[in-house]
Amino acid sequence: MDLKLDDDELNTCVQCGLCLPHCPTFRVTGDESMSPRGRIHLMREVQLHNAPVTPEVVSSFETCVQCRGCEPACPSSVPYGHLMERTRETLADEGIMTPRWQRLGMKPLAHPKLLATGTKFLSVAQRLNLVPKRLGISAEVPFRQAPLEVSGTDVLMFTGCVMDAWQRDVHQAGQTVLEAAGFGVTPTGDLAPCCGALHAHAGLANDTRSLATSMMAALSQAHFADVPIVVDSAGCGAQMKDYGHLLGTAEAEAFSSRVFDISEFLADHLDKLPRGTPIAERVAIQDPCHLRHVQRVHLATRKVLEVFVDDLVELDDDGLCCGAGGAYSIMQPVLAGQIRDRKVEAIDAKSPDLVASSNPGCSMHLGAAGVPTVHPMELVARAIAG
Amino acid sequence: MSVLSSINKNIRDRLAGRGATVTAHAVADERLVEDLRSALAPDRVRMDSVGRSLHAKDASVFKGGVAGPTCYPTSTAEVQAIMRISHHHGRAIVPRGAGTGLAGGAIPLGAPVVIAMTKMNEILEVDIDNRVAWVEPGVVNLDLTRYLTPMGFHFAPDPSSQQVCTIGGNVANNSGGPHCLAYGVTNAHVQAMEVVLPDGSVTMLGGLDAEPAGLDLRGVFIGSEGTLGITTKVAVAITKNRPAVKTLLLSFDSVSDAANTVSGIIAAGIVPAALEVMDHKITVAVENYVNAGYPRDAAAVLLAEVDGMEAGIAIDAGRIEEIGLANGATDVRTAKDDEERALLWKGRKTAFGAIAQLAPDYYLHDTVVPRSELANVLVKVYEIADRHDLVVMNVFHAGDGNLHPLLLFDARDEGVMDRVHAAGGEIVQASLDAGGVLSGEHGVGVEKQGYMGKLFSDDDMDHQDRLRKAFDPTCRANPGKVIPIGHSCADIQALRRVPTGVWG
Repeated sequence: MDLKLDDDELNTCVQCGLCLPHCPTFRVTGDESMSPRGRIHLMREVQLHNAPVTPEVVSSFETCVQCRGCEPACPSSVPYGHLMERTRETLADEGIMTPRWQRLGMKPLAHPKLLATGTKFLSVAQRLNLVPKRLGISAEVPFRQAPLEVSGTDVLMFTGCVMDAWQRDVHQAGQTVLEAAGFGVTPTGDLAPCCGALHAHAGLANDTRSLATSMMAALSQAHFADVPIVVDSAGCGAQMKDYGHLLGTAEAEAFSSRVFDISEFLADHLDKLPRGTPIAERVAIQDPCHLRHVQRVHLATRKVLEVFVDDLVELDDDGLCCGAGGAYSIMQPVLAGQIRDRKVEAIDAKSPDLVASSNPGCSMHLGAAGVPTVHPMELVARAIAG
Repeated sequence: MSVLSSINKNIRDRLAGRGATVTAHAVADERLVEDLRSALAPDRVRMDSVGRSLHAKDASVFKGGVAGPTCYPTSTAEVQAIMRISHHHGRAIVPRGAGTGLAGGAIPLGAPVVIAMTKMNEILEVDIDNRVAWVEPGVVNLDLTRYLTPMGFHFAPDPSSQQVCTIGGNVANNSGGPHCLAYGVTNAHVQAMEVVLPDGSVTMLGGLDAEPAGLDLRGVFIGSEGTLGITTKVAVAITKNRPAVKTLLLSFDSVSDAANTVSGIIAAGIVPAALEVMDHKITVAVENYVNAGYPRDAAAVLLAEVDGMEAGIAIDAGRIEEIGLANGATDVRTAKDDEERALLWKGRKTAFGAIAQLAPDYYLHDTVVPRSELANVLVKVYEIADRHDLVVMNVFHAGDGNLHPLLLFDARDEGVMDRVHAAGGEIVQASLDAGGVLSGEHGVGVEKQGYMGKLFSDDDMDHQDRLRKAFDPTCRANPGKVIPIGHSCADIQALRRVPTGVWG
């Protein structure tokens, strides 16, 4: 089957295996078919040598978390993330991956009203103990949230789908910090309902492209031209920075260059922030994969937090994934749990009071295992309020 | 139900739903798989086309391996069971670690049972007082060092693939690494091993005493490339971290100047922790990846590291600089901190992977020559590659005289493999002519088998074969490797056992 992969991109892998220890699924299974090298080998077999797409081949692709921890480890810079997204796109188009019920489940992400209604149902169901634990929704989903107010147009703050519905308090903290640094903030709200990251992971490229196109149109209107877009979710930020590659247009490139992770943005404006009272608890930094391996701006989180947290500690696990992976923890609960066990072990070794993570998926997934997570912006907001 | 099988069932349903065909592979030896599954667990014996396809390869260029079922044992008893069952069914076995071997040592020949040791990855015990650690063979080399770091120790052999390769693989290949110049290769850091022999019996080789009694069978086993049996527990020596380290980066206008500097340093009686040379092309490729500040315009760079007491290494570093300058070094720089040092080493250790920037395939050689011959042999290596119209890059453990010429090519070019093999043969011959040996650390595997006759007489090889048969009388452990096949008829039988096409 033609997976529609670029032959040259496929050929950049020399099968040296240096990616293996950086792959969370290989780490917990020791199985070559669950490693980046193995998956690339199978892509080649299918595309170049017409190997049949057996259940084992599909499972090798489906079990990938798409954390892209293999990419910085690869001395040949194999564009693994793009290869995997394209593979999934082809298999989804063929009806082999991402069945209809999954596609249906993603619909509300792009429809804020539907998501809001769904959230209310979920909130009630949670209170009635009707939500199975294995879904990994650790925190109580809010029934009602105060809206975010526009305070100016110095920066656009991307609020997104699930995060806005479930964790708006994090956005509120981010907005407070940006305002404390003197920026007038426009939360994007319904203007740009969803970045399309989960769709891209599931191989639904057309949905991703249409979400990207409509977001670009909405956030590039004349009065927003050149206004930086600040994102407090690592997964969304990574996706929006990839629009240039996704759409292949100059406008998309220009749009992507306006996107910043919120810590990345604030790291350049630290002098404008009041110092407040430093956080007294011991805080461990857990880098979301899409911040560290994809955006590669994880050092900014440290630069910002160092100012506001006295006892900041690093984990010794080389930035290995926590197993959240967008919808991965729901689709592959067993593997996601095993990967998380490793992360929890690394966290426990440092005995922190709080774990700072700037991705809603990671914080929910870790939270479900009893890890006390907090968004870096919540810490900064707390310190400033002092 | 296991993770994998439950996932697979789900997908199978989906594929079946849309009318896709799920190919049931013809399995000649269902009973073998059945026996293996009942001895281990159903989900730890793979026999599907994906498993066979993936385990037919390692990191070498060799194709044509054919894997049988793959087992993932989790205990010594399970390894014994696999050995007994394979023996009972007349099947060979091939052990596999991380699959990073470059000589094809883990390539399965004759559809053997593949024993993947990745799940036996526990660090069992660390005894700081006696400076020894018991580990399972699937422990990743660098994981062990990371585990020991807070205690102030490390595992000294540090192959370039140390972030992924396993201790079991290090034992099988007697692996070296940049820092083995001062500390010795794997052989010097393994005290004892629990091994499972091809008949399924378990024995302990070596011991924790300084001078274990009897013949050194431990030494025989280390570097035997899986042809004598399989390790299930290893007692490794752990090395105290040195109080101070200095890393120098010297640039040269020619590879010969770098080689002569290396020779000069050793001749002066200095034993640095590491002496590594990279030529111009590989230095640029590495620098593109790590941005460590390697000079892009030097014809060669020498990475020299000294460790020990602060005062002592300052003197050694000064002398190395002098010797370098006397041999034409154009620049000498010292890494200013641990971070810069780590970056320089990251560059050196990922060099092989970095070459895909230049070509999709490479063939990495591994010969050893006397240090005094380094410069001469290098000139010949460049000549040979030139003659065969191939690009060659040199990156090597200069202190040991261990050459690693890398031939770059694109396997899609017609006829290129013939040129690659011809050039490789001449490089090996040139090293042997200079008084060198076939392999420094990658092993013989299938790669160097054809060259064994150039280094050993028939008599030598017959004796090696007899020693092997003392451990493995029917040649079922990794058959078709190391000793040329003509020297071992039992090997031929093991390889012919399975009708072709069965495991295809």
